[in-house]
Amino acid sequence: MEKNVYSIFKTFFKVGTLLLGGGYVILPLLTSELVDKKHWISSEELCEYYALGASLPGIIAANVAIFTGKKLLGLKGAIAATVGMILPAFLAIVLLASILSELVTKPSIQNIFWGVGIGVITLLFMAVKEMWSASVKDKFSLIVYLVCVVLALTSKVPLALIIIMALISGIIFQKIEDKRNNFKFENTEDKSK
Amino acid sequence: MKLFLQLFLQFFHVGIFSFGGGYATLPFLYAISENYHWYTTKQLTDMLAISSITPGPVGVNVATFAGFATSGIPGSLVATTAIILPSFIIVTIVYNVLDKFKTNRCVKGAVRGIKPAGCALLSAVGIRLIFTSNLHLLGTLLLLFFIVVSLIKKQDPLVILSVSAAAGLALGYFNWIGV
Repeated sequence: MEKNVYSIFKTFFKVGTLLLGGGYVILPLLTSELVDKKHWISSEELCEYYALGASLPGIIAANVAIFTGKKLLGLKGAIAATVGMILPAFLAIVLLASILSELVTKPSIQNIFWGVGIGVITLLFMAVKEMWSASVKDKFSLIVYLVCVVLALTSKVPLALIIIMALISGIIFQKIEDKRNNFKFENTEDKSK
Repeated sequence: MKLFLQLFLQFFHVGIFSFGGGYATLPFLYAISENYHWYTTKQLTDMLAISSITPGPVGVNVATFAGFATSGIPGSLVATTAIILPSFIIVTIVYNVLDKFKTNRCVKGAVRGIKPAGCALLSAVGIRLIFTSNLHLLGTLLLLFFIVVSLIKKQDPLVILSVSAAAGLALGYFNWIGV
Protein backbone atom coordinates (compact mmCIF):
# COMPACT_ATOMS: atom_id res chain seq x y z
CA MET A 1 0.00 0.00 0.00
CA GLU A 2 1.17 3.51 -0.83
CA LYS A 3 2.87 5.46 1.96
CA ASN A 4 1.49 8.97 2.26
CA VAL A 5 0.50 11.21 5.14
CA TYR A 6 -3.14 10.16 4.89
CA SER A 7 -2.56 6.40 4.77
CA ILE A 8 -0.12 6.59 7.69
CA PHE A 9 -2.60 8.65 9.70
CA LYS A 10 -5.40 6.20 8.92
CA THR A 11 -3.34 3.16 9.92
CA PHE A 12 -2.27 4.62 13.26
CA PHE A 13 -5.78 5.93 13.93
CA LYS A 14 -6.99 2.36 13.61
CA VAL A 15 -4.30 1.08 16.00
CA GLY A 16 -5.08 3.91 18.46
CA THR A 17 -8.77 2.98 18.40
CA LEU A 18 -8.08 -0.70 19.08
CA LEU A 19 -5.64 0.11 21.86
CA LEU A 20 -7.75 -0.72 24.92
CA GLY A 21 -6.63 -1.28 28.49
CA GLY A 22 -3.12 0.08 28.56
CA GLY A 23 -0.31 0.04 26.05
CA TYR A 24 0.80 -3.55 26.43
CA VAL A 25 -1.16 -4.78 23.41
CA ILE A 26 0.44 -2.29 21.07
CA LEU A 27 3.14 -4.57 19.67
CA PRO A 28 0.82 -7.30 18.35
CA LEU A 29 -1.55 -4.61 16.94
CA LEU A 30 1.23 -2.80 15.10
CA THR A 31 2.70 -6.05 13.81
CA SER A 32 -0.62 -7.04 12.29
CA GLU A 33 -1.16 -3.63 10.63
CA LEU A 34 2.35 -2.54 9.57
CA VAL A 35 4.14 -5.83 8.99
CA ASP A 36 1.52 -8.40 7.98
CA LYS A 37 -1.04 -6.26 6.14
CA LYS A 38 0.90 -3.30 4.69
CA HIS A 39 4.48 -4.63 4.56
CA TRP A 40 5.79 -1.16 5.45
CA ILE A 41 8.52 -2.33 7.83
CA SER A 42 9.98 -5.65 8.96
CA SER A 43 9.04 -7.34 12.20
CA GLU A 44 12.66 -6.95 13.46
CA GLU A 45 12.59 -3.19 12.90
CA LEU A 46 9.27 -2.89 14.71
CA CYS A 47 10.55 -4.88 17.70
CA GLU A 48 13.62 -2.69 17.84
CA TYR A 49 11.50 0.49 17.80
CA TYR A 50 9.34 -0.96 20.55
CA ALA A 51 12.34 -1.83 22.72
CA LEU A 52 13.82 1.64 22.17
CA GLY A 53 10.46 3.32 22.72
CA ALA A 54 10.09 1.52 26.02
CA SER A 55 13.49 2.65 27.28
CA LEU A 56 12.91 6.31 26.39
CA PRO A 57 10.75 8.63 28.50
CA GLY A 58 7.11 9.31 27.71
CA ILE A 59 4.21 7.24 26.44
CA ILE A 60 5.49 4.08 24.73
CA ALA A 61 2.72 4.04 22.11
CA ALA A 62 3.63 7.59 21.07
CA ASN A 63 7.36 6.80 20.98
CA VAL A 64 6.81 3.79 18.73
CA ALA A 65 4.48 5.81 16.47
CA ILE A 66 7.11 8.55 16.11
CA PHE A 67 9.90 6.06 15.31
CA THR A 68 7.81 4.22 12.73
CA GLY A 69 6.36 7.37 11.18
CA LYS A 70 9.83 8.84 10.82
CA LYS A 71 11.11 5.67 9.17
CA LEU A 72 8.17 5.67 6.73
CA LEU A 73 8.01 9.31 5.68
CA GLY A 74 10.35 11.49 7.75
CA LEU A 75 9.00 14.26 9.96
CA LYS A 76 5.66 14.39 8.10
CA GLY A 77 5.21 10.67 8.71
CA ALA A 78 6.07 11.05 12.38
CA ILE A 79 3.46 13.77 12.86
CA ALA A 80 0.80 11.82 10.92
CA ALA A 81 1.48 8.66 12.95
CA THR A 82 1.44 10.43 16.32
CA VAL A 83 -1.73 12.41 15.66
CA GLY A 84 -3.40 9.24 14.36
CA MET A 85 -2.33 7.27 17.43
CA ILE A 86 -3.55 9.75 20.06
CA LEU A 87 -6.61 11.25 18.36
CA PRO A 88 -8.98 8.37 19.33
CA ALA A 89 -7.89 8.69 22.98
CA PHE A 90 -8.37 12.44 22.87
CA LEU A 91 -11.82 12.31 21.28
CA ALA A 92 -13.07 9.55 23.58
CA ILE A 93 -12.14 11.49 26.71
CA VAL A 94 -13.46 14.86 25.48
CA LEU A 95 -16.81 13.19 24.70
CA LEU A 96 -16.92 11.34 28.02
CA ALA A 97 -15.64 14.16 30.23
CA SER A 98 -18.69 16.30 29.54
CA ILE A 99 -21.15 13.59 30.68
CA LEU A 100 -18.91 12.20 33.40
CA SER A 101 -19.28 14.99 35.96
CA GLU A 102 -23.08 14.59 35.92
CA LEU A 103 -22.97 10.80 36.10
CA VAL A 104 -20.65 10.68 39.11
CA THR A 105 -23.15 12.42 41.39
CA LYS A 106 -25.58 9.45 41.31
CA PRO A 107 -25.11 7.18 44.38
CA SER A 108 -25.22 3.89 42.45
CA ILE A 109 -22.57 5.19 40.03
CA GLN A 110 -20.45 6.27 42.99
CA ASN A 111 -20.63 2.73 44.36
CA ILE A 112 -19.51 1.35 41.01
CA PHE A 113 -16.56 3.72 41.01
CA TRP A 114 -15.67 2.71 44.57
CA GLY A 115 -15.47 -0.90 43.37
CA VAL A 116 -13.64 -0.01 40.18
CA GLY A 117 -11.09 1.91 42.29
CA ILE A 118 -10.13 -1.43 43.85
CA GLY A 119 -9.83 -2.96 40.39
CA VAL A 120 -7.59 -0.09 39.32
CA ILE A 121 -5.24 -0.61 42.30
CA THR A 122 -5.03 -4.28 41.29
CA LEU A 123 -4.14 -3.33 37.69
CA LEU A 124 -1.55 -0.91 39.02
CA PHE A 125 0.16 -3.67 41.01
CA MET A 126 0.06 -5.92 37.93
CA ALA A 127 1.91 -3.17 36.05
CA VAL A 128 4.39 -2.95 38.94
CA LYS A 129 4.95 -6.70 38.65
CA GLU A 130 5.65 -6.46 34.92
CA MET A 131 7.98 -3.51 35.33
CA TRP A 132 9.71 -5.29 38.21
CA SER A 133 10.50 -8.37 36.12
CA ALA A 134 11.82 -6.16 33.31
CA SER A 135 13.99 -3.98 35.55
CA VAL A 136 15.05 -5.50 38.87
CA LYS A 137 17.63 -8.07 37.83
CA ASP A 138 20.69 -7.63 40.09
CA LYS A 139 21.80 -6.16 43.41
CA PHE A 140 22.28 -2.69 41.94
CA SER A 141 18.76 -2.42 40.52
CA LEU A 142 17.29 -3.82 43.76
CA ILE A 143 19.06 -1.12 45.81
CA VAL A 144 17.90 1.62 43.40
CA TYR A 145 14.36 0.26 43.66
CA LEU A 146 14.32 0.20 47.47
CA VAL A 147 15.91 3.64 47.88
CA CYS A 148 13.44 5.16 45.40
CA VAL A 149 10.39 3.57 47.08
CA VAL A 150 11.47 4.91 50.48
CA LEU A 151 12.22 8.38 49.07
CA ALA A 152 8.90 8.57 47.21
CA LEU A 153 6.89 7.44 50.25
CA THR A 154 8.56 9.35 53.05
CA SER A 155 10.17 12.47 51.60
CA LYS A 156 9.09 15.51 49.65
CA VAL A 157 11.85 15.07 47.05
CA PRO A 158 10.35 15.88 43.61
CA LEU A 159 9.83 12.73 41.53
CA ALA A 160 11.86 14.18 38.66
CA LEU A 161 14.85 14.54 40.98
CA ILE A 162 14.53 10.90 42.07
CA ILE A 163 14.61 9.85 38.41
CA ILE A 164 17.66 12.04 37.72
CA MET A 165 19.53 10.61 40.72
CA ALA A 166 18.73 7.05 39.58
CA LEU A 167 19.96 7.93 36.08
CA ILE A 168 23.28 9.31 37.37
CA SER A 169 23.87 6.39 39.73
CA GLY A 170 23.19 4.01 36.83
CA ILE A 171 25.82 5.68 34.67
CA ILE A 172 28.38 5.67 37.50
CA PHE A 173 27.69 2.02 38.33
CA GLN A 174 28.02 1.04 34.65
CA LYS A 175 31.41 2.81 34.43
CA ILE A 176 32.69 1.05 37.56
CA GLU A 177 31.45 -2.32 36.31
CA ASP A 178 33.02 -1.81 32.86
CA LYS A 179 36.35 -0.86 34.44
CA ARG A 180 36.32 -3.92 36.69
CA ASN A 181 35.53 -6.18 33.71
CA ASN A 182 38.33 -4.65 31.64
CA PHE A 183 40.72 -5.16 34.54
CA LYS A 184 39.76 -8.85 34.83
CA PHE A 185 40.13 -9.22 31.08
CA GLU A 186 43.65 -7.77 31.13
CA ASN A 187 44.63 -10.03 34.04
CA THR A 188 43.51 -13.20 32.26
CA GLU A 189 45.41 -12.06 29.15
CA ASP A 190 48.60 -11.64 31.20
CA LYS A 191 48.29 -15.12 32.64
CA SER A 192 47.82 -16.72 29.23
CA LYS A 193 51.13 -15.24 28.13
CA MET B 1 -2.91 32.44 29.81
CA LYS B 2 -0.91 31.71 32.94
CA LEU B 3 -3.06 28.62 33.50
CA PHE B 4 -2.26 27.31 30.01
CA LEU B 5 1.43 27.86 30.58
CA GLN B 6 1.31 25.97 33.91
CA LEU B 7 -0.72 23.19 32.30
CA PHE B 8 1.81 22.97 29.48
CA LEU B 9 4.86 22.93 31.77
CA GLN B 10 3.42 20.34 34.16
CA PHE B 11 2.47 17.87 31.42
CA PHE B 12 5.67 18.51 29.51
CA HIS B 13 7.55 17.49 32.64
CA VAL B 14 5.48 14.29 32.88
CA GLY B 15 6.49 13.52 29.28
CA ILE B 16 10.17 13.96 30.10
CA PHE B 17 10.43 12.01 33.35
CA SER B 18 8.02 9.08 33.11
CA PHE B 19 9.90 5.93 32.21
CA GLY B 20 8.40 2.48 31.69
CA GLY B 21 5.23 3.15 29.74
CA GLY B 22 1.52 2.98 30.54
CA TYR B 23 1.15 3.45 34.26
CA ALA B 24 4.61 5.05 34.64
CA THR B 25 2.99 8.45 34.12
CA LEU B 26 0.79 7.90 37.20
CA PRO B 27 3.20 8.94 39.99
CA PHE B 28 3.60 12.30 38.25
CA LEU B 29 -0.11 12.68 37.60
CA TYR B 30 -0.87 12.04 41.29
CA ALA B 31 1.81 14.57 42.26
CA ILE B 32 0.14 17.15 39.98
CA SER B 33 -3.24 16.53 41.63
CA GLU B 34 -1.70 17.25 45.04
CA ASN B 35 0.17 20.38 43.95
CA TYR B 36 -2.27 22.08 41.60
CA HIS B 37 -5.84 20.93 42.42
CA TRP B 38 -6.77 20.76 38.75
CA TYR B 39 -8.37 17.41 39.55
CA THR B 40 -8.64 15.38 42.78
CA THR B 41 -6.84 12.08 43.41
CA LYS B 42 -10.29 10.45 43.52
CA GLN B 43 -11.08 11.86 40.07
CA LEU B 44 -7.76 10.56 38.78
CA THR B 45 -8.53 7.04 40.03
CA ASP B 46 -11.99 7.20 38.41
CA MET B 47 -10.31 8.44 35.26
CA LEU B 48 -7.95 5.47 35.22
CA ALA B 49 -10.88 3.09 35.30
CA ILE B 50 -12.48 4.96 32.42
CA SER B 51 -9.28 5.05 30.42
CA SER B 52 -9.01 1.26 30.60
CA ILE B 53 -12.27 0.97 28.70
CA THR B 54 -11.64 3.81 26.23
CA PRO B 55 -9.19 3.71 23.33
CA GLY B 56 -5.62 4.91 23.56
CA PRO B 57 -2.72 5.16 25.98
CA VAL B 58 -3.58 5.92 29.63
CA GLY B 59 -1.20 8.89 29.75
CA VAL B 60 -2.95 10.60 26.86
CA ASN B 61 -6.38 9.89 28.38
CA VAL B 62 -5.43 11.46 31.69
CA ALA B 63 -3.71 14.48 30.13
CA THR B 64 -6.79 15.13 27.98
CA PHE B 65 -9.05 14.75 31.01
CA ALA B 66 -6.95 17.01 33.25
CA GLY B 67 -6.79 19.69 30.59
CA PHE B 68 -10.53 19.41 30.04
CA ALA B 69 -11.26 19.63 33.79
CA THR B 70 -9.25 22.84 34.07
CA SER B 71 -10.31 24.74 30.98
CA GLY B 72 -12.34 22.75 28.48
CA ILE B 73 -11.19 21.71 25.02
CA PRO B 74 -8.38 24.31 24.69
CA GLY B 75 -6.95 23.03 27.99
CA SER B 76 -7.12 19.41 26.85
CA LEU B 77 -5.32 20.31 23.61
CA VAL B 78 -2.55 22.06 25.55
CA ALA B 79 -2.07 19.21 28.07
CA THR B 80 -2.13 16.46 25.43
CA THR B 81 0.35 18.28 23.17
CA ALA B 82 2.60 18.94 26.16
CA ILE B 83 2.77 15.29 27.25
CA ILE B 84 3.65 14.13 23.70
CA LEU B 85 6.12 16.89 22.75
CA PRO B 86 9.12 15.57 24.78
CA SER B 87 8.70 12.17 23.06
CA PHE B 88 8.77 13.92 19.72
CA ILE B 89 11.98 15.77 20.46
CA ILE B 90 13.77 12.86 22.14
CA VAL B 91 12.79 10.21 19.59
CA THR B 92 13.82 12.50 16.71
CA ILE B 93 17.26 12.96 18.26
CA VAL B 94 17.69 9.25 19.04
CA TYR B 95 16.52 8.27 15.54
CA ASN B 96 19.36 10.26 14.02
CA VAL B 97 22.06 8.70 16.20
CA LEU B 98 20.48 5.26 16.43
CA ASP B 99 23.58 3.09 16.08
CA LYS B 100 25.65 5.12 18.53
CA PHE B 101 22.71 5.20 20.94
CA LYS B 102 22.36 1.42 21.01
CA THR B 103 26.00 0.72 21.90
CA ASN B 104 26.68 3.70 24.18
CA ARG B 105 27.72 2.58 27.69
CA CYS B 106 26.35 5.74 29.36
CA VAL B 107 22.93 5.12 27.81
CA LYS B 108 23.07 1.52 29.00
CA GLY B 109 23.91 2.64 32.53
CA ALA B 110 21.24 5.34 32.54
CA VAL B 111 18.56 2.83 31.51
CA ARG B 112 19.74 0.41 34.22
CA GLY B 113 19.22 3.13 36.83
CA ILE B 114 15.97 4.57 35.49
CA LYS B 115 13.99 1.36 35.01
CA PRO B 116 13.95 0.22 38.65
CA ALA B 117 13.31 3.84 39.70
CA GLY B 118 10.22 4.05 37.45
CA CYS B 119 8.97 0.79 38.93
CA ALA B 120 9.64 2.11 42.46
CA LEU B 121 7.65 5.32 41.91
CA LEU B 122 4.66 3.32 40.70
CA SER B 123 4.91 0.98 43.72
CA ALA B 124 4.84 4.02 46.01
CA VAL B 125 1.67 5.29 44.30
CA GLY B 126 0.04 1.86 44.77
CA ILE B 127 0.91 1.79 48.47
CA ARG B 128 -0.40 5.35 48.98
CA LEU B 129 -3.64 4.54 47.12
CA ILE B 130 -4.35 1.60 49.43
CA PHE B 131 -4.27 3.94 52.43
CA THR B 132 -6.17 6.85 50.89
CA SER B 133 -9.01 5.14 48.97
CA ASN B 134 -11.41 4.48 51.91
CA LEU B 135 -11.30 0.75 51.26
CA HIS B 136 -12.43 -0.24 54.79
CA LEU B 137 -12.41 -3.94 55.71
CA LEU B 138 -14.43 -5.40 52.82
CA GLY B 139 -12.59 -3.33 50.23
CA THR B 140 -9.22 -4.45 51.56
CA LEU B 141 -10.30 -8.08 51.46
CA LEU B 142 -11.56 -7.61 47.90
CA LEU B 143 -8.24 -6.06 46.86
CA LEU B 144 -6.28 -8.92 48.45
CA PHE B 145 -8.51 -11.42 46.63
CA PHE B 146 -7.94 -9.69 43.25
CA ILE B 147 -4.19 -9.49 43.75
CA VAL B 148 -3.88 -13.15 44.73
CA VAL B 149 -6.05 -14.24 41.79
CA SER B 150 -4.02 -12.19 39.29
CA LEU B 151 -0.75 -13.42 40.71
CA ILE B 152 -1.84 -17.02 40.21
CA LYS B 153 -2.95 -16.40 36.65
CA LYS B 154 -2.70 -13.19 34.64
CA GLN B 155 -6.21 -11.77 34.28
CA ASP B 156 -7.73 -9.64 31.54
CA PRO B 157 -7.93 -6.03 32.86
CA LEU B 158 -11.52 -5.80 31.62
CA VAL B 159 -12.52 -8.85 33.69
CA ILE B 160 -10.99 -7.33 36.85
CA LEU B 161 -12.72 -4.00 36.24
CA SER B 162 -16.12 -5.56 35.51
CA VAL B 163 -16.00 -7.81 38.58
CA SER B 164 -14.90 -4.93 40.81
CA ALA B 165 -17.63 -2.67 39.38
CA ALA B 166 -20.24 -5.35 40.07
CA ALA B 167 -18.86 -5.83 43.59
CA GLY B 168 -19.08 -2.07 44.26
CA LEU B 169 -22.68 -1.96 43.02
CA ALA B 170 -23.70 -5.00 45.10
CA LEU B 171 -21.96 -3.89 48.31
CA GLY B 172 -23.41 -0.40 47.91
CA TYR B 173 -26.91 -1.84 47.46
CA PHE B 174 -26.65 -3.57 50.86
CA ASN B 175 -24.97 -0.48 52.39
CA TRP B 176 -21.82 -2.49 53.16
CA ILE B 177 -19.25 -0.15 51.61
CA GLY B 178 -18.37 1.52 54.93
CA VAL B 179 -17.86 -1.88 56.61
